[in-house]
Amino acid sequence: MAQGTPFMQTIPQAPFHHLHALWFQLTGTLCNLACSHCFISCSPTNHALKFVAPETVYQYLDEAETHGVREVYFTGGEPFLHKQIMPILARSLQVAATSVLTNGTLITPAVAGELAALAAGSPYSLEMRISLDDVDEARNDAVRGKGALRRALRALQLLQERGLPPIVAVTEYFYEAQETTPQEAGDGSGFYQKFRDFLLENGIEKPRLKVIPVFAMGKLHPSETGASYVTPGMMHGFDVTTLQCTKSRIVADGGVYACPLLVGEPEARLSESSLSEAMQPCSLYHTACHTCYVTGMTCSNY
Amino acid sequence: MFYRRIAVFGGVYSNYQALAAMIDDARRHQAEALFCLGDLGGFGPYPDRVYPLLRESGVQVMRGNYDVSLAEGLTDCGCGYTDPRDNYYAALSYEYTFRHTSEDNKGWLRTLPDVLRVQLGNYQLHMSHGSPRQVNEFLWESTTPDGFLSKLCGDYEADVLLCTHTGIKWHRRLPDDRHAVNVGVIGRPENDGETHVWYTLLTADPHLQVEFVPVYYDYEALARDMRQEQLPEAFVETIRSGWWTTCLEVLPGKERARGRW
Repeated sequence: MAQGTPFMQTIPQAPFHHLHALWFQLTGTLCNLACSHCFISCSPTNHALKFVAPETVYQYLDEAETHGVREVYFTGGEPFLHKQIMPILARSLQVAATSVLTNGTLITPAVAGELAALAAGSPYSLEMRISLDDVDEARNDAVRGKGALRRALRALQLLQERGLPPIVAVTEYFYEAQETTPQEAGDGSGFYQKFRDFLLENGIEKPRLKVIPVFAMGKLHPSETGASYVTPGMMHGFDVTTLQCTKSRIVADGGVYACPLLVGEPEARLSESSLSEAMQPCSLYHTACHTCYVTGMTCSNY
Repeated sequence: MFYRRIAVFGGVYSNYQALAAMIDDARRHQAEALFCLGDLGGFGPYPDRVYPLLRESGVQVMRGNYDVSLAEGLTDCGCGYTDPRDNYYAALSYEYTFRHTSEDNKGWLRTLPDVLRVQLGNYQLHMSHGSPRQVNEFLWESTTPDGFLSKLCGDYEADVLLCTHTGIKWHRRLPDDRHAVNVGVIGRPENDGETHVWYTLLTADPHLQVEFVPVYYDYEALARDMRQEQLPEAFVETIRSGWWTTCLEVLPGKERARGRW
């Protein structure tokens, strides 16, 4: 039995509604960091999933445009390890608003300048989303590696200085079960405000936060006995369109998958080479599906 | 009904001062009909004041997410925010608006359509609040690609798509003389440091002309009303400064970069 597969019950399906977002796992599982909580176990030595070639990206972008795609996302691994990332982003920005999910450590002044030029040349937004786990350097770097916080903060500042207000993605790794309520966000308490204050103190004048729950998978995958799954009974009366997999697909090594968290999983692969073919219902078979169901999580920016 | 010139606006947000000024201005511009794309309440003071203005002026009104929530007695405005700070201010606004909207007006909202189809010259217009497929879908200029709009025009058999919901106006020309227009809102300024608001004139002459028209109104009087009603000072600041202070985490990068906050 593959990791994450529910045992002895019918697996619910999520219908496909429309293509809102197309994702690319651009650099497979290769990353210059080796975060201890990585959902897909990326690292400098993990070559399990390979890079996606520029020609493959362009082919899927063309196909996505005919389906009325609204947003394109690039993730990894670390997307800035891809030597062709700038022409890829340029092409993507001709099609739709484009976001890059990055640890920020490879964003030098020159890279930030190129990104700002790309953004200025497109009618569509280019979003840089940089991951942090804590505002405390020791705690953050214990997860992400020595120097990670300082390098990410430098990237945030470089982008802002060039007119690209970045988004900070915060996992709830240190703050699980401390979900910030709207009341806390409004009155200035809670960890959400803690991150806002940290960014403001460091010159990020328009702090934008994306909070992401912890997924029990990858380097954090639980024992099978402790895993939770979506059951058929849970689908009654549930607004299935809240699930990202009803509105997005991801291209990665091996084909088109239902979910950015499930790249490389045979059960999540919907086509080897066609986006149109992959626009079909998918199985909610994984523990990650349960997390999305419970939290309302989406990987998109908003 | 066949028109040659119409005025279209959205997002009244209880700004009765701007609504009255806008109706007068549209008449001066010889608009044959006025269309409101929804969200009558929220943000501003005394929500019941906009209803008689709309009805007595013969404005054709459709429902936005706010109107659906008020009409159906839902627990939130359904704006589609995902950020906790945005949701905090949205909840304050909705609670006030729900409490101060009469049952008669909530009943009237239940009678309104969710879509309007209008013929303007040779153009078939499709009016929706957010997008044709979802009442609270945000169609920002920088996240609404041409391919997506062309597909919507085909799916909904429209030459011109009209929407509001985001609060910032834009117009896109598409191939084959098709168009998409976000008509903006008259409830709050559009995050550019100016205090006026905007509506849209559409003229078929015979080719489509799209004109965004500024509406200057007594925003200080509105601000006084807002303070009288103890609405958040952050809302008052937006009306007086022209910069958004709340419900802006949903802005895409390009639009966010242009704002003050």
